[in-house]
Amino acid sequence: MGEFKVHRVRFFNYVPSGIRCVAYNNQSNRLAVSRTDGTVEIYNLSANYFQEKFFPGHESRATEALCWAKGQRLFSAGLNGEIIEYDLQALDIKYSMDAFGGPIWSMAASPSGSQLLVGCEDGSVKLFQINPDKIQFERNFDRQKSRILSLSWHPSGTHIAAGSIDYISVFDIKSGSAVHKMLVDRQYMGVSKRKCIIWGVAFLSDGTVISVDSAGKVQFWDSATGTLVKTHLVANADVQSIAVSDQEDSFVVGTAEGTVFHFQLVSVTSNSSEKQWVRTKPFQHHTHDVRTVAHSPTALISGGTDTHLVIRPLMEKVEVKNYDAALRKITFPHRRLISCSKKRQLLLFQFSHHLDLWRLGSTVATGKHGDTLPLSKDADHLLQLKTKVSKMPACLRSAVQIMFSEDSTKLFVASNQGSLHILRLLEGSFKHLHTFQAQSGTVESMCLLAVSPDGNWLAASGTSAGVHVYSVKRLKLHCTVPAYNFPVTALAIAPKTNNLVIAHSDQQIFEYSIPDKQYTEWSRAIQKQGFHHHWLQRDTPITHIGFHPKRPAHILLHDAYMFCIIDKSLPLPNDKTLLYNPLPPTNESDVIRRRTAHAFKISKKYKPLLFMDLLDEGTLVAVERPLDDIIAQLPPPIKKKKFGT
Amino acid sequence: MVQLRPRASRAPASASAMVDEGQPASEEAEHGLLLGQPSSGAAAEPLEEDGDGDDDLDDEAPEELTFASAQAEARAEERRVRETARRDKTLLKEKRKRREELFIEQKKRKLLPDTVLQKLTTASQTNIKKSPGKLKEDKSQKKNEECEKGNESKKVKEKIQSIGQNKSYLARRLKDQDLRDSRQQAAKAFIQNSLYGPGTNRTTVNKFLSLNNKRLPVKKAAAQFLNNGWGTQKKQNAKRFKRRWMVRKMKTSKK
Repeated sequence: MGEFKVHRVRFFNYVPSGIRCVAYNNQSNRLAVSRTDGTVEIYNLSANYFQEKFFPGHESRATEALCWAKGQRLFSAGLNGEIIEYDLQALDIKYSMDAFGGPIWSMAASPSGSQLLVGCEDGSVKLFQINPDKIQFERNFDRQKSRILSLSWHPSGTHIAAGSIDYISVFDIKSGSAVHKMLVDRQYMGVSKRKCIIWGVAFLSDGTVISVDSAGKVQFWDSATGTLVKTHLVANADVQSIAVSDQEDSFVVGTAEGTVFHFQLVSVTSNSSEKQWVRTKPFQHHTHDVRTVAHSPTALISGGTDTHLVIRPLMEKVEVKNYDAALRKITFPHRRLISCSKKRQLLLFQFSHHLDLWRLGSTVATGKHGDTLPLSKDADHLLQLKTKVSKMPACLRSAVQIMFSEDSTKLFVASNQGSLHILRLLEGSFKHLHTFQAQSGTVESMCLLAVSPDGNWLAASGTSAGVHVYSVKRLKLHCTVPAYNFPVTALAIAPKTNNLVIAHSDQQIFEYSIPDKQYTEWSRAIQKQGFHHHWLQRDTPITHIGFHPKRPAHILLHDAYMFCIIDKSLPLPNDKTLLYNPLPPTNESDVIRRRTAHAFKISKKYKPLLFMDLLDEGTLVAVERPLDDIIAQLPPPIKKKKFGT
Repeated sequence: MVQLRPRASRAPASASAMVDEGQPASEEAEHGLLLGQPSSGAAAEPLEEDGDGDDDLDDEAPEELTFASAQAEARAEERRVRETARRDKTLLKEKRKRREELFIEQKKRKLLPDTVLQKLTTASQTNIKKSPGKLKEDKSQKKNEECEKGNESKKVKEKIQSIGQNKSYLARRLKDQDLRDSRQQAAKAFIQNSLYGPGTNRTTVNKFLSLNNKRLPVKKAAAQFLNNGWGTQKKQNAKRFKRRWMVRKMKTSKK
């Protein structure tokens, strides 16, 4: 493998924004997540929880509610008073409609999926009809005194429960008037000056309304009589979210202390038919407020201010007890936010609204393996570019991915309509060279581009048709790698051999030879043998693939918790050997060392890794982002009293 | 000893007197009595001499200083005065001119070189023409998803769009915008207050991260133990004082 000097970079100040809403879609097993800065991300839970699509956000579009409607349509509503529909194929916003009720606090789609209910700041509940192309305002319900913070439909679609401040109203859809108004205690068994905010309501089909409020209570109400049935005091702080499963036998609530509680409907005694709701499991996977929860058929999903998305499969619901039933915590982005210029030793960091350019520091000291060398010249912050609107041709307005050619004379742009543009860059202007039209197939995930170092080939992924390879010299489609049912997470073309290396979200790696238009021998061998089971059980996707300029047999990959150099000349590991075997001690005999050496050289020294690449033959750059640095910049959490402090 | 005063001015005075004597009357008639002395030049001298030649008078005849000579002298004096005045003026002018040039040069040095200025002015002129369109374009791009708003405002906007020259305008009633902004502010304030306001039981990030350190078997310090923001002014003053003291110390030790 060789010896490398490693630049450990920790000055990338990446702070993700907190998760505000989560919405689970049962038919496609997808999860829509919206964050406090307005970004909406779509995760494919069946493709190893990979983040497929991503809508960049803006503070003015910060969402307060997110919901799926019939036909895979995604709607969100926020404090700017508008309902936004997202176009999942074009990866853009279809339209936004003003609800004229002031800031929107909550939104719920009807069980049939054809109507949308919106709760506004001025106390009005508005009903919208979802038409095939747009939504249309139908009517207003009776106006209430204070803002409507939570909404829930009855499964039959006849009644609505709306949670407000200090009370819950039950509306009848046909008449539009409030049938019941249930007053909520400000504090359990006491009096408090702070108003009780009903953060979430859920309507069950037997007429029970479950409410969670800021006093830490979970209360069960009977909507027919408008009375309180049961109270559970669950936390000392707010309980901020609730989600009920489809079968209505379990629900999950999230609190401001970071705890998620699971309630289940269990029978009172083992052979009686009477059932009651019991708080069964507490989960403490978050450190800050859990502002949203969702309940899929097999898992509990929670997200909050601490920016982690936690998916906890429920053991009793999971059929096959394998590694799929483990806890998944998604913290780091699933795409590459950093680019590196190898010759000039510069790093470009991509933030949500600006770009930062840094020069790496240098050192003249030398040392042995494991030493930390002092810097003779510190890293320099060179430039900060903020977004600016300038003259752009229409084809570039909605670019999804941009890549420069190796000699920086050409620019490849993937637009959100699926077409690829090639532009030649001249002094201060550009000339449009060619456009590759969108090929057949639906857009499945964000488009990734890869350019070969000699400038002849361009590879583009993202559609369901597979990875397309275009010849830049002859300006036409060269070949298509056969489609695979998991999305592509990283793409790269090797320097001399022009082999296209593709990494998928289920941790499979393929190597395809572009000149020969077929998979390489090594790729076939490893597919036949299969990857090591520890390799396949990794949580985070591979986001970057790099190559060694002098050794064509080496491939450098990394994900968030390890980096690996694959040596294609060494034998492949089978399931019995140890995948992660650091350097064996030198007093072991050569035979043993030869026997245990295999192609995957893994190092877990630098984690959590956001980016790793080979600068030149003897230097690596690793950009790390310690979790503590992120936590230090989050909003304050709830105070927890611990014994002995 | 009798000290003889030098009568250097006698010869030219007499020459000019000879010239001027031809027309003494006419000059007198024109200028009047320039010197306020009696008309005869001979009588003029003794008056001059009287003041300082008291010692050796009475042996010598008073000097012959004709009126014309005195007049000529006076004119010469005048001319000299005028000349000096003119010279002074020109000197002043030159000084002022030089100062002006110096100021202009200094100003030039402060500004950017000419080429860049030219570029900027031409660019700004073209920009001014384009900027209204650009601004609206910017707004419309940022909110490009809002292609249709409510019923009334939509019609109004469409009308305006068809009338305006640049098609990239997005008209908005300012009154509505204020109301909307104030409501949005109120909503944000409400949620901030209810989650992080008074009465909520929140703690700082430092305390939160240090809680673990307190419960470890080997107790560690807090995550952020030092408060670097304490006494910044005092620290700055101390640094400045130290620097000055060092300089003074160097000076005295050199001596």
